[in-house]
Amino acid sequence: MSTSLLRPTSPFLFPPSLCRGFATEVTHRHPKKPPRPNLHTAVILNRSPILTRTPTPFERAYYAYQTRIQRALHNPFPYEFYFKPGSLLESKFNLEERKRDRKAFGPGFGADHPLAPGAGVSAQDLKKFGRDEDETPAPRVHASDDSGDLKSLDRKGQRNLYLLVKQKTTDAAATVWRFPESEVTTDGELLHESAARDLRGLCGEAMDTWIVGRKPIGLYEIQPPTALPDSVPFPKTCVFFFKGHIMAGQVKPSESVADFAWLTKKEIEKRVDEQYWGGVKDMLSDF
Amino acid sequence: MSAGAVRAAVTAGRSLRPIRKIRKLVHDERGLPIPHVGIVVRDTHLSRLGEHYHNTLADDLLYMTYKHESGPRPPPRNIRLMYDPEDPYVKLRSNPPVGGSQLGRKLAPPTTAENVVHLERIQLHTMAKDALVSRQNLLGPLMALRALSGETEQGGGRRGSTGVQVVRGVKSVGGWVRPGLPLGAKVDLRGTKMYEFLGTLTEFVLPRLREFPGLLLPPASASLQTPAGVAGVVSFGLPPEAMGLFPQIEVNLDAYPKTYGMHIHFITNAKGAGAQERVRQLLSGFQIPFARR
Repeated sequence: MSTSLLRPTSPFLFPPSLCRGFATEVTHRHPKKPPRPNLHTAVILNRSPILTRTPTPFERAYYAYQTRIQRALHNPFPYEFYFKPGSLLESKFNLEERKRDRKAFGPGFGADHPLAPGAGVSAQDLKKFGRDEDETPAPRVHASDDSGDLKSLDRKGQRNLYLLVKQKTTDAAATVWRFPESEVTTDGELLHESAARDLRGLCGEAMDTWIVGRKPIGLYEIQPPTALPDSVPFPKTCVFFFKGHIMAGQVKPSESVADFAWLTKKEIEKRVDEQYWGGVKDMLSDF
Repeated sequence: MSAGAVRAAVTAGRSLRPIRKIRKLVHDERGLPIPHVGIVVRDTHLSRLGEHYHNTLADDLLYMTYKHESGPRPPPRNIRLMYDPEDPYVKLRSNPPVGGSQLGRKLAPPTTAENVVHLERIQLHTMAKDALVSRQNLLGPLMALRALSGETEQGGGRRGSTGVQVVRGVKSVGGWVRPGLPLGAKVDLRGTKMYEFLGTLTEFVLPRLREFPGLLLPPASASLQTPAGVAGVVSFGLPPEAMGLFPQIEVNLDAYPKTYGMHIHFITNAKGAGAQERVRQLLSGFQIPFARR
């Protein structure tokens, strides 16, 4: 390079005060700064459990054991405080209590003991007085569980469900399963605003949703393909995830959404690609 | 020879372990032995609201209350001389911080998954003014709180269970209260029973309460740096009409001499600046309504 030729060979040629004026050589080229990343936001829309979890066999055995201890040790029930003596309600309670104690301890103990306060009337008589209330609880399995309908919000009532959409990617006509995602376009748009807009735009207005807080709950970085040397590197893509809850309504997919499904964590793993799964799996609830 | 060595020589021949006395078993009225085993009754069923907290609320509250901090917090500036902790003469003296305890201005601890705000207990508290006239007037509130909470002293063998307690006067107020005078009753609810009470409150009582707008929020101009604002407790009062709406009391409301109002305190682990707001976020997750004046 020409600059190196101009460099004084000896420090004695010029006075020291002038020496620095010639130190113009660029010894080290600064590496090109990577361009600013593309910002995307995605919403992890959650349908919380709508049924209490079924206890495991171990839990059931534990609770049954504790219930028996509690029945054996509880304070005497103040009958005269809660019932008028000889009332119909007291008889009904005694019958029910007898049934519960027999279930817990076997025949002949507790309220089922021959000396325990009995019912003045029989169960047949009670049926004559008051109509037997129909207290069968609603089934814990919905019709959509049997039919395998992945779009129903009533499926898998005990589990956390997440909305997954089959979305067109930016470059190709190919579609991939992922959480509803879009680019932060407008200048000055905040991330949480972008997330709410993205959900409305992709999944329609027919949903009552709530985005939890204004902070993203996770970040997934898509690394760009490596650029040729001496060229501007491609920007990477940062996807910020927000958690949302659905209160009512259902998805009405827009044109860019080919399909949607409400899935549990395990079902999501089968649909998304491995790299994406590694980025999002810790944001989802196991149960 | 030192005194210790002498004692060792004296006791060398026998074991130092005290001889265990075998307790005789107590027998019940039928002559059957009652084993002296510390039986403790634990949870007898899954708690619905407890599950809701662990499944949904804890995550949401962590996301909502998270404050990003870059790096550890700077240590407090010690601008006042401290007593020398090495000097045995002054090491137990207190070193009060400059400017008082700064109670209302203490920062909340850094947000982590371990210290997400959660309910520790709910305290029900009622004051019976007529207990000053006759102590028998306290029986009504005591019975009402027992029916509401189902708690008894050491109930289920739990040492921590205090049951319904009588509240006594602390200060002397001229012509009215003297220290030690029974004035009211209170009870602490924890665990499953606490969540059950919360469920009863939000599903049976508050929706049926007439002209109830919700828990009134303080005006926006109110200072948050008060001791109440940083203690992590949210309290509200229920009028006497609300007592009849609890299903436990509704079944035999006429057994009580009259209806009693009560204060309900939601006591949580939240501490430091903004604690009260975090507790409100938690409670609104349990569907307790809040309203602006």
